[in-house]
Amino acid sequence: MTNERTGEVRIDSESDIVTARQIVRNTAIAMGFGVTDVTRIVTAASELTRNVFRYAGSGVMRWRMVNACEVLGLELTFEDYGPGIPDIKRAMEVGYTTKGGLGLGLPGAKRLMDELEIESEVGKGTRVTVKKWRR
Amino acid sequence: MAADTISVIKLHDVLMVTVPPDPDDETVSALQERVLQTMERHEAKGLVLDISTVETLDSFFARTVVETVQMVALMGGRTVLAGMRPSVAITATQLGLTLGSALTALNVDRALDVLDGTHRLGDVSDDQ
Repeated sequence: MTNERTGEVRIDSESDIVTARQIVRNTAIAMGFGVTDVTRIVTAASELTRNVFRYAGSGVMRWRMVNACEVLGLELTFEDYGPGIPDIKRAMEVGYTTKGGLGLGLPGAKRLMDELEIESEVGKGTRVTVKKWRR
Repeated sequence: MAADTISVIKLHDVLMVTVPPDPDDETVSALQERVLQTMERHEAKGLVLDISTVETLDSFFARTVVETVQMVALMGGRTVLAGMRPSVAITATQLGLTLGSALTALNVDRALDVLDGTHRLGDVSDDQ
């Protein structure tokens, strides 16, 4: 695990949310992120993993170490073949939820991470990519 | 993680629950149920939720905690969250989480003071 620069976690059950958190935590710590940034990254991962499980039932989280101008970063990608997001703009609004949640997951992840990208098509699936750079 | 790793301790008329470091959703839900069952059985006046070892406070956890606080209040009790880590406080705020009417305390000792009514706001003097 220490020499891996990329990996994947299947999200098929509720317990996979914890697995994803733990892998993300260990990776972020190994990459030298500070305590608070580790917490930010893990919390964002927890929200996004839960979204995959709740809305699509199953999917995958991929993590990848990235590098830009000698700055190290951690990229997480959450992918599913679920229902897709009809209105991405609304989905990014604080408090908006279609499943009785708090509506904080997507906008929260955007605030906690440095970058967030969503690709989604109704009936096909969703891909959320987030990145955090190590300062 | 088995949901029966949650133990509820009764100290006089206060309940105390120590939340494990990284509880899964099932454990979080079980926590709520255990708390309410124990409250009913022992007619406690308050609940201390020790979250000093919790490393991740995501929206599911927060929502369950807020619900639990409301339920405890309906049963006539007050809840104090004890020992939130700074990194968790920073992250929870950035995530947009608020904890409803839950009181908070730096640690379990102070939490018990709050429930006892012996804690005075603005008291800077520490343990003598």
